[in-house]
Amino acid sequence: MGTRNLDRRTILKAAGASAATLGLAATTGCGGGSGSGDGTVTIRYSWWGAEERAKKINQSIALFERKYPKIKVKTDFQTYDSFWEKFQTQAAGGNPPDVFQNAVTFLRKYDKRGILLDLKPQVEAGNLSLGHFRAGVTKVGEVDGKQLGVPVGSNTMSLVIDKKVFRKAGVEPRPGWTWDEYFKALKTIRDKTRVPGDTGYFTIMYLYDLYLRQNGKAFFTDDGLGFDQADLTEWWTDGLGRVKAGVVTDPKVVQQDKPKSSLSAGHGASEFTWDNFTVRYSAEGDSEYGLAPIPTTDGKHTGQYLASLMLSASARTSHPKEVAQFIDFMVHDPRVGEIMGYDRGILTSTEQFAAYKPADAVNKEIAQYEEDTAKAGVLGTITPHPSGADTIEAAFLRIGGDLGQGKSKVSDAVKQFFTEAEAAFQA
Amino acid sequence: MTLVKDSVPATRGARRAATARTGRPGRRRENLAGYLFMSPWIAGFLLLTAGPMIASLYFAFTDYNLFTSPKWVGLDNFTKMFDDPRWQKSVEVTAKYVVIGTPLKLLLALGVALLLAQSRRGQAFYRAAFYAPSLIGASVSVGFVWRSLFSDGAVVDRTQTFLGFHVGGWVGNADWVMYSLVALTVWQFGAPMVIFLAGLKQVPRELYEAAEMDGAGALRRFWNITLPMISPVLFFNVLLETIHSFQIFGSAYVVSNTACGPADATLVYTCYLYQQGFKNAQMGFASAMAWMLLLAVALVTAVLFWSQKKWVHYEEDAR
Repeated sequence: MGTRNLDRRTILKAAGASAATLGLAATTGCGGGSGSGDGTVTIRYSWWGAEERAKKINQSIALFERKYPKIKVKTDFQTYDSFWEKFQTQAAGGNPPDVFQNAVTFLRKYDKRGILLDLKPQVEAGNLSLGHFRAGVTKVGEVDGKQLGVPVGSNTMSLVIDKKVFRKAGVEPRPGWTWDEYFKALKTIRDKTRVPGDTGYFTIMYLYDLYLRQNGKAFFTDDGLGFDQADLTEWWTDGLGRVKAGVVTDPKVVQQDKPKSSLSAGHGASEFTWDNFTVRYSAEGDSEYGLAPIPTTDGKHTGQYLASLMLSASARTSHPKEVAQFIDFMVHDPRVGEIMGYDRGILTSTEQFAAYKPADAVNKEIAQYEEDTAKAGVLGTITPHPSGADTIEAAFLRIGGDLGQGKSKVSDAVKQFFTEAEAAFQA
Repeated sequence: MTLVKDSVPATRGARRAATARTGRPGRRRENLAGYLFMSPWIAGFLLLTAGPMIASLYFAFTDYNLFTSPKWVGLDNFTKMFDDPRWQKSVEVTAKYVVIGTPLKLLLALGVALLLAQSRRGQAFYRAAFYAPSLIGASVSVGFVWRSLFSDGAVVDRTQTFLGFHVGGWVGNADWVMYSLVALTVWQFGAPMVIFLAGLKQVPRELYEAAEMDGAGALRRFWNITLPMISPVLFFNVLLETIHSFQIFGSAYVVSNTACGPADATLVYTCYLYQQGFKNAQMGFASAMAWMLLLAVALVTAVLFWSQKKWVHYEEDAR
C-alpha cells in the first residue's frame, strides 16, 4: 500500500468535501411549477413545524384537492432552522416552493431579493380575499404597499408561568404590573421555592423589542436598529446581575436543557415567549402552565402587537392564480380552521376563528389571553423587520447567552452585537 | 496484499497476449471499455467535485449572498477573515481540538494495539469491540448520545460529583464542552488502532530475540525496535488523524445543539464556515474560509512530510 498515494487522495478529499458543500448551492438549478396536458397543475407547498402540523396540513390539502381537482399540492416540511437553510438554497437556485410558510422576520429579506410574489393583483382578480380577517392582522403581511403574505395564525408575546411554583410562592401576576414588581416576584419565588424565577429574559429579542416600545423606541426601524449601545449595555448589565443574584436561570443550565426549555425542565418558573407555544410546555413538562401579562414600564403599555405566521408565494411561480386559490382556501375555509386549530397561532380569518372552538384547557387559555390583550387596548402595530433580522435575532440570543457564561464583558458583547448587526444589514 | 501482488503479473501477461493476437485496434477497444466503465466516476468527479471546487474558488474572491450575482472583491474576504474575532475564535478552537485530541487518540490507539498484538484468548472479540466505535462514530446519533452523557445531572456529572469534584455537565459549560468533543474523538480510536496492529505484525520477531539476548528490557525494545519499525505506520496515522481532526463538524454541531457551543466554545472552523454560508448567506466569505482551510491543511501536511525525514524509518529497499 503506497502511503504517499493515499495521503494525496485524502488531502484532496479533505479539500473537496468543504469545497463541494459550497458549490452545491451553485448547481441547484431549474424548476418552477409544472403543468400537464389535461390542465392539471401541481404546486409545491412547504413549511416548518413538527409531525403534528404536517398531519393537519395534509388533511386540509385533501379537502382542497377535492374542491379543486385540477390542482395538485406537493408538500415538504422541516424544522425551523433546516427550513430556512433549505429555502435559502432553493430560492438562490431559482427554485423556491410555490407557496410557503413565512414570518415577519423574513419579509423584507426575501422581498429585497425578489423572491416574494405581490398578491395584490390576485386579490383584485378575485382569486384571494383579504376580507373577513380579524382586526389588523393582514397589515402584518404588508410591506411598502405590497401584500407579501397572508396571515394564517396570529400570536403575541406573553409570559408563560409555572402555575404550581407561582402558587407555592404566593405570587399573583396582574395586568399592568411593572418591571420592578416582576423582578420582586422573581426574588420571592427564588427565596420561597429555590427555583430561579425567569429562564433568561434578557436574551429574547422579541421581549427586548417590547421593552423598547414601552420606552418609545423599537428594536428595528425600517432599515436598521432602533436603539443604541447605551440602551443595550443597560439591558444586559441588568440581566447579568440578575443571573448572578440567582433569580434568573444560569445560562449553562439553559444550554444543558436544550432542546427542552428550562421552564418545562423545572429550572425556571417563567419564560417570555409567543403565546401559542404554551402547548409545547404542557407536552414537555409535568407541571401546570399558564399565561401571564407582560410587565410594563408605566403600568399601562406592554408594547405588544400581533405577529403572525403567514403564507407567501414565490415570485417565480408559473401558477399565480392556483397559488392564490390555495392560499385563499387555507386561510378562509372553516373546515381547515377546525382541523388546524391554534397550531400556528390564533386563526386569523373570521370564518376560521368562528369555526374552531378549543376544547382543551391550554388552547382555551391562549384564546382567552389574546382576547384579553386585545380588549386591554395595548396592541400596537408591528414594523416589518429589515433584511438581516433573522441573523440579528440569532446573534442577540447567542451573544446574550454567552454573557452569562462569564466569558465576556458586557461592553465587549454590546460592541460585538452591533458589529454583527451591521454586517447582517449589508448581507 | 499478497493477492494483488500475485494477480498483477498474471493480468499483465494476459493483456500482452491479447494485444499480440489482435494488434492495436483491440487495445483501443479495451481502453474505450475502460473509460466507459469509469465514466460514471469521471462524470461524478467533474460535476460533484471539480466543478464545485472551481466555482467555490471563484466565489472566494467575490461578495456573494446567493441571490444577487457574485461581485468581484479581490482579496477582501481574506482580509476580512483576519479581522473577524469569531473567525479567530474558530481557528483557536479548531487548533485546540487538533492539538489535544489527535495525540491522545493516537496514544490510546497505539497502547491498545500493543496489548492486542499479543496472542491471547478472545483477541478477536477485543479487536472488534475496540473497533466498533469507529464504525458508528460518524453518525449523528452518537452526537446525541454524547450530549446526554455529558449533560447536567447525567452519568458524567454524577460520577464527578461522586468522586468529589463538582463541575456540572460539560455540555453547557464553556470551559469544559471542548473536552467532551475530545473524549468523543479519542473514544473512536479503533481505525488507527487497526492500522497500528497491522504495523506491529510486520516487525520481524528476530529483532526482539536478538535484543533480548543482548539484555534489552521491554521499554528499551519498544523504544529502539518497535517505534522505529512502525514509524511509517505512525506517520500515516498522524497524517490521517490530523487531517481528519481539522474537518470536525458533525459532533461539534450536534453536541452543542447546532449553536456551536456556549460562548463559541465549540465553534470549530467548519461550523463557522457553515453558519456563514448557509445561515448568514455569506457564500463568498464561506468559500474563502474553505480555501483557507485547504491551505492550512496543506501546510500542516507539508510540515509533517518534511519532518518525516527526521523520525520515519523506511527499510532500505522501500525508499
